[in-house]
Amino acid sequence: MTDQQRGPAGAIHDIGYRHYDGPRLGPAYIRRALFLETLRGAFGLGRSARSKVMPLLLLAVMVLPALVVTVVTSYIGFDTLPLGYTEYVVTLQVVVTVFLGAQSPVVMSRDLRFRVAPLYFSRPLSRSQYVQAKYAGMVAALVVLMGLPLTLLLAGALLSKLPLDEQLPDYLRAMAGVLVFAFVLAGIGLVIAALTPRRGVGVAAVVGVLLVLSGIQATVRALAGELGNDTFTGYAGLLSPYPLVDGVTAGVFGADSSFGEGPPGALGALVFTAVAVLLVVVCYVVLLARYRKALS
Amino acid sequence: MSGLAFNGTVASLTRRSLLGRKRTLVLALLPLALLALCIFARVLGGIDSGIERELSGRLAPDLLAAFGIAILMPLLGLIAGTGAIGPEIDEGSIVYLLAKPLNRYSIIVTKLVVAVGVVVGFGVLPVAVAGVVLTGEVGAVTVAFTVGALAAGVAYAAVFLLLAVASRNAVVLGLIYALIWESLVGGLVPGAQALSIQQWSLAVVERLLGDDASRLGVDAAVGLGTGLTLLVVVTVAATVYAGRRLQTLRLNDET
Amino acid sequence: MSVVELDKVSRWFGNVVAVNDVTMRLDTGVTGLLGPNGAGKSTLINMMAGFLAPSAGTVTLDGRPLYRDPEIYREVGLVPEREEMYDAVSGWNFVLANAKLHQLPDPESAARQAIATVEMADAQDRDIRTYSKGMKQRIKMATAIVHEPTVLLLDEPFNGMDPRQRMHLMELLHELGDQGRTILFSSHILEEVEQIAARIEVMVSGRHAASGDFREIRRLMTQRPHQYTIRSSDDRALASAMIAEPCTSGVELSVDPHGVSAVQVQATDYSAFVHALPRLASRHGIRLLEVHPADESLESVFSYLVSR
Repeated sequence: MTDQQRGPAGAIHDIGYRHYDGPRLGPAYIRRALFLETLRGAFGLGRSARSKVMPLLLLAVMVLPALVVTVVTSYIGFDTLPLGYTEYVVTLQVVVTVFLGAQSPVVMSRDLRFRVAPLYFSRPLSRSQYVQAKYAGMVAALVVLMGLPLTLLLAGALLSKLPLDEQLPDYLRAMAGVLVFAFVLAGIGLVIAALTPRRGVGVAAVVGVLLVLSGIQATVRALAGELGNDTFTGYAGLLSPYPLVDGVTAGVFGADSSFGEGPPGALGALVFTAVAVLLVVVCYVVLLARYRKALS
Repeated sequence: MSGLAFNGTVASLTRRSLLGRKRTLVLALLPLALLALCIFARVLGGIDSGIERELSGRLAPDLLAAFGIAILMPLLGLIAGTGAIGPEIDEGSIVYLLAKPLNRYSIIVTKLVVAVGVVVGFGVLPVAVAGVVLTGEVGAVTVAFTVGALAAGVAYAAVFLLLAVASRNAVVLGLIYALIWESLVGGLVPGAQALSIQQWSLAVVERLLGDDASRLGVDAAVGLGTGLTLLVVVTVAATVYAGRRLQTLRLNDET
Repeated sequence: MSVVELDKVSRWFGNVVAVNDVTMRLDTGVTGLLGPNGAGKSTLINMMAGFLAPSAGTVTLDGRPLYRDPEIYREVGLVPEREEMYDAVSGWNFVLANAKLHQLPDPESAARQAIATVEMADAQDRDIRTYSKGMKQRIKMATAIVHEPTVLLLDEPFNGMDPRQRMHLMELLHELGDQGRTILFSSHILEEVEQIAARIEVMVSGRHAASGDFREIRRLMTQRPHQYTIRSSDDRALASAMIAEPCTSGVELSVDPHGVSAVQVQATDYSAFVHALPRLASRHGIRLLEVHPADESLESVFSYLVSR
């Protein structure tokens, strides 16, 4: 103490500050942690009990019909599933929509609303890595939401002694569709949620947009059907994400379209796929721009 | 005590938070989509006589029922009903209304009036305009669907306002009711339609259309008496219960 | 003027007891409600503001129960802890709206006066969302005093204020207290309470740990025996020097499992000890590596004071 006091005026004394110089986990670890946290958070895991209710309830609603179908199939002994794999998601699309609406703001806007996002960026994590991790987390959550009942459905079909070689291709096609669904829907949901950070608004906005689009799509399709123009009817599917992805599944993977007419011919399949890819890219770019602006 | 009166100050604060710039934009998108669709149908009707014929037949009522009553009204009721009080409760700014010598029921009634105003402005009026665009006249179809939309809008706003007072998950719960219960479950299990604001207001539409209802394809799951009674009972009960909940609302600062 | 009384008040949430058997009486003048975070201060204020029913006991304002009676707000003003207000409204319009909600006969002049009192007239036409933390706090204050309440409750009013704003609010509270109003504010920082409150009520873990004159409680708190753990360059020499001082009553040398030795000192006179320690160390050429009080939580302070 005494020798330090004789030093030059103004000095920082070493009184035992410690700093960490052990090994550090890199950006890949941060990304994985953020991805897992997003996926878990989408189902309310690691959050309060109240936050678990909604997502798990919706997951249950999503799974329930698969169980019912399984039981019915094995009791009555159908030789095909009464509700097909690709139809399943489309039939239950409102559940997916509500889940997307309820959880996109959870994934996206809480960091903005509580202004904690800058904390993430004080770590070696770039904005694009943040967006990628969040996007991937939401995609994974949607894959679980839609893929779990399909997998149960497959298990049920096999338990009911339906032949594997008939079931598996349909299942795989539907799962490929689920992946496309997840990318497209997660993009739309996250973009809208990121633009509406206020609580409650994001939920209504996401669901509102999807609902209105599907309403418009249905009406335009009906009108086009009235005109008797099949090409027009087919392309009406581009107006709403569900028939859009359904069109991709039908056109590219060769599943049956759940919306009646799918995209017309090879050109149609190409157009649907291009629009879906474009949509995902646009969503990603908008998210990046949003985080550049909000957090600079 | 100020009694059950409408309170202008509460109304003006509610209106400001409900009609922020961004919110107005989101709200305006809904009726704009409806109108764009109707104009599109009308234009197609001008090109194709089959569509023209359908527009004076089933197409117009179908569109108004599917887009106006089944999509527009629950969504607007949800946004306006929960938006009129939900954010204030979440953020805790409701305390500035509660720490005043105000009757709690008058706060709820005022907020309901503002929410209904929003529903009328962004939903009922556009439905009326859409009816005129589709049918080309202020006829029975337009009037019936305007009144039906109003009935649905008031009931949805009252129910969703109550939800916002009672639960923090109000928006999602409301969506589950409107989409999963009314549309999905109602579509699969007909019995569920007896408990559906959409069907109750369709009963009103059906009666107003009179003998034309079946030709126009409007068929409600409940009768007029049941529908009207349930609409009134649900609206009043939701409002009263919301007032009671507000009296004992706990102000906690969890987020 | 107005008196707020709590009689054997408890409040529990499920099986968590937030406030445990508290009896206190708030008279005119400024009272500080002191306690660490989570001690039950906000629960207590919420009960006094009529937003929460006591699970047991009574909370009254001049003999009237407070819970679920909107009429009490003619006499009670509340400054909530949370910051959110109606963002898209200007400060002036917000205070004016509060005046109207109180059904004051002349809301404009009441609002003008409240805003002048908190010195916000210059910024009153800006939207609240553009305000700094301190400005928001002042507008909150204006809404609470616009109807000239006889009772004013403030939940953590100094949070987020800079020293100048702090001074200003302290002066304001003084003034309002001198006008004969009953004022209660909560804080977890001793020094804040010290400067304005003649009386304090201390909450620890939901219990009413102390009440009365601030200086007396402070004296009780500082003059109890204090435990210190000290590490130095020569523990044994330090220990022998310490025990020679009249301000200590016990010294112990200890070695922890890692072989790190330390001196435990029991000091009877707090202020004499803190002056003696550095003097001793420098005289004997001992270098102090670490000095820390062994048990300084408010909880332990009060359990000592109670069992004495």
